[in-house]
Amino acid sequence: MKNIFIMVMSGICMMPLLTACGNSADTVHTADLFAMDTYMNIKAYGKDAEAAVTEAEARIRALEQTFSVTNDASDIRKINQADGQPVTVSADTVSVLQTAQEMHHESGGALRISLYPVLRTWGFTTGAYSVPEADEIAELLQNVDDTKISVDGQTVRCPAGMEIDLGAVAKGYTGDAVMEIMQAHHISSAIISLGGNVQTRGSKPDGSAWTVGITDPFAPDMLIGTVSVRDKAVITSGNYERYFTGEDGRRYWHILDPADGYPADNGLVSVTVIGSCGAECDALSTALFVEGTEQAVQHWRRNGDFEMILVTSDGELLLTEGIAADYNAKNEMPCRVVQRNEEP
Amino acid sequence: MKNRKIIIAVGLIFFVSVCLSVYILRHSDRQTVEIVQDGAVLYTFDLNRAEDQEIRVTSAEGGYNLIVIKDGTICISEADCPDQTCVKMGVLKSDYLPIVCLPHKLIVRFAEGEA
Repeated sequence: MKNIFIMVMSGICMMPLLTACGNSADTVHTADLFAMDTYMNIKAYGKDAEAAVTEAEARIRALEQTFSVTNDASDIRKINQADGQPVTVSADTVSVLQTAQEMHHESGGALRISLYPVLRTWGFTTGAYSVPEADEIAELLQNVDDTKISVDGQTVRCPAGMEIDLGAVAKGYTGDAVMEIMQAHHISSAIISLGGNVQTRGSKPDGSAWTVGITDPFAPDMLIGTVSVRDKAVITSGNYERYFTGEDGRRYWHILDPADGYPADNGLVSVTVIGSCGAECDALSTALFVEGTEQAVQHWRRNGDFEMILVTSDGELLLTEGIAADYNAKNEMPCRVVQRNEEP
Repeated sequence: MKNRKIIIAVGLIFFVSVCLSVYILRHSDRQTVEIVQDGAVLYTFDLNRAEDQEIRVTSAEGGYNLIVIKDGTICISEADCPDQTCVKMGVLKSDYLPIVCLPHKLIVRFAEGEA
């Protein structure tokens, strides 16, 4: 009897030791890097984590070169300088172009990668911000037409005078590429953050879901809430990410409406898309931001393989029904859950 | 006699485990922050114990950030980068929102940050 008592007591006494050791069972490897004009952080757990993270870093650097609009050797630079001639590009570029074209179609033209010259004249690609003259924007818009980009196998042709930029899709695609590397290395637990994009593989090593913070667009140093996900991309486009204040005191942000070439102001200040494919979520977050509140909700009802968290310019939070249960509010913003079937 | 030995043994084990528990709990009370530049950890602090101080970090291109630790908080109070995003972030508040200075490749974050 006494022996049993001693064993039980010893067991209880050993507990703190056991819990302290439990956490170190998984090897974690992390890396920070600055690429694609943003800060990225990769974290992977498992036996092969170090090799996976090292390979992921190299892949990110390579994709950064491929998608760059300034590097002369990049696919995009070659397309933009081809003056209407066909250019052979990598499979990565073809894949991103196809995602952009699909999203252009699905969003009724809200996403246009050929908007690049307009984005540049606003200074959003260079940091030399200024409000362009209206006729300058009108002139540049004449060469904005994604339907004229042809992709045939690995050959791409853009009309002379058109320039493209994959900024709205490239980071999401890069996240997908990193997750493929994690899979190849049998990593069952990984998370990557690329600026406003977070992509997760599996769950945390303890089996619980990853929690991803959603930035408050009205106070970007705070969160409006967190969302719990497994195996998902959580990708946000917000008007707080890149903007400047003009001489007129107005705020101008980097997500432009292809309809007029001015910052998209259709009722939304932040769009978070949650789904399986990073490239699609990335393209969607930009497209839905441009579409505006009502159109975004209709878009979600038509193509339901994603969920979204919308913040409207008048300070309301809209959650689609598939994500509402996984959302954990961190502030008092009024919140409404959007149902799949339209309310009568 | 045998009883006393057992009591002493159990008492010892209990005492040691209480000490360990206290140590581990104190350990988890740490709030470790890292200052990372271009992938290299420059400094690590326990915010709950660090003395108030200012740290000037110079970037490879010659720019600087002034990092201030005060009353258990950390922020970038001054920088000569064009966007000033790092200064506008204020004090470090959350695992989810590291303070980042893109032009100087500088990060201030909690060491156990998740995303």
